[in-house]
Amino acid sequence: MKRNGPIITLLAGLALAAVLITVNLSLTKGGGEPDPAGLGAAVASAAPAASTPPSPTVAASASAAAPDAPAEKVNATWAGTVDGGGATIAIAVTDGVAVAYLCDGKKAEVWLQGTAADGKLALTGKKGATLTGTFGGGKATGTVTANGRKWTFTVKAVAKPSGLYRATATVRNAKVVGGWIVLPDGSQVGVVTVDDVPQPAPAIDPATGAVTVDGAALTAAPVTGVLAEN
Amino acid sequence: MSDQSTRRVKASAAGLYVPLLLGAIVTVTLGVYGSVHTPTGIAVNVAGFSGPQTVKVWLASGAALLALVQLVSAFAMWGRFGANPPSWIGPLHRWSGRFAFLLTVPVAVHCLYALGFATYDTRTLAHSLLGCFFFGAFTVKMLSLPKRGLPGWTLPLLGGAVFTALIGLWLTSSFWYFTTIGVRF
Repeated sequence: MKRNGPIITLLAGLALAAVLITVNLSLTKGGGEPDPAGLGAAVASAAPAASTPPSPTVAASASAAAPDAPAEKVNATWAGTVDGGGATIAIAVTDGVAVAYLCDGKKAEVWLQGTAADGKLALTGKKGATLTGTFGGGKATGTVTANGRKWTFTVKAVAKPSGLYRATATVRNAKVVGGWIVLPDGSQVGVVTVDDVPQPAPAIDPATGAVTVDGAALTAAPVTGVLAEN
Repeated sequence: MSDQSTRRVKASAAGLYVPLLLGAIVTVTLGVYGSVHTPTGIAVNVAGFSGPQTVKVWLASGAALLALVQLVSAFAMWGRFGANPPSWIGPLHRWSGRFAFLLTVPVAVHCLYALGFATYDTRTLAHSLLGCFFFGAFTVKMLSLPKRGLPGWTLPLLGGAVFTALIGLWLTSSFWYFTTIGVRF
């Protein structure tokens, strides 16, 4: 017993890790726990579809079976961390017009806009950035390609005050564009670009959208519909 | 224990080869998995992940606290606080170590699964390297414990390495979180 103790300790740790990884895998691939009700999105199904990998093609068939109403105009917001945790993404859809924002909270960010209809997302951004994916069952799944990089994501529907916020202004002749993603746990990720130089965004007050950038008071508004040209 | 090296049994570090090899395999495996699993995109952003983080912060703090128990009980076992340490010191050392290790496992699984090996800044790089090193060093320590005839410096060195790595991990994660984001539950 005494000589085997350390080995048993190691094996116990290994077993615990194996259990946790298994749970992680099933949570990632299944629906996970129910989410706060999405804005017009179907309620997340509690039964995990454990055999559904988060690939766009397979998810497309899954979303076709989901009780969505594709004929109606879509109103929903999804937000969360991309696969692997390297960045955060939010997709806000108003009457079928989709705006997506992906950023790392430090300097990398991509704005995209397009459509959300029939369970499919199709958005484009500057410099050939694209987002393709599917949605349904309280979540959205897809792929973002921008600046030669690629992210995949599966994010859940979120409700206000969580979601996507944006502020545009001119501060002392500098063009300021800020994007913020507020997640259900209250954390924020954002990047402010001042004359095309990105920097981590100061936190907004999710209730009012108030934020101070470079000493100037701005108001970040929830993104609805087409982005203002800036 | 401390007179091990002066016994007639010739102390040799050769018995450490297999533990060191297996520990190295653990360290490299974790590092490779963390790297392969990470998206090739932008690096880890701490604000981007949610609820599990506070869980990790507190699990790691529990492990760090137990690590301090480890340090003190190890000193006691080696007679630094008097020649005859109480008999419960050994079990205390073993069980606090086990619990500390088990507390670190969920943290490591989340780190590796959700975040991966990151090199975004000095803190995340140090944390990633220490994390891989910690589990390798712990493996070596565990595999060395039952072996007889190892040099007297083996367990203090390995234990010290494991302790240092864990405290370093705590400083680069939980302490950073407490001082940067705040003490949250």
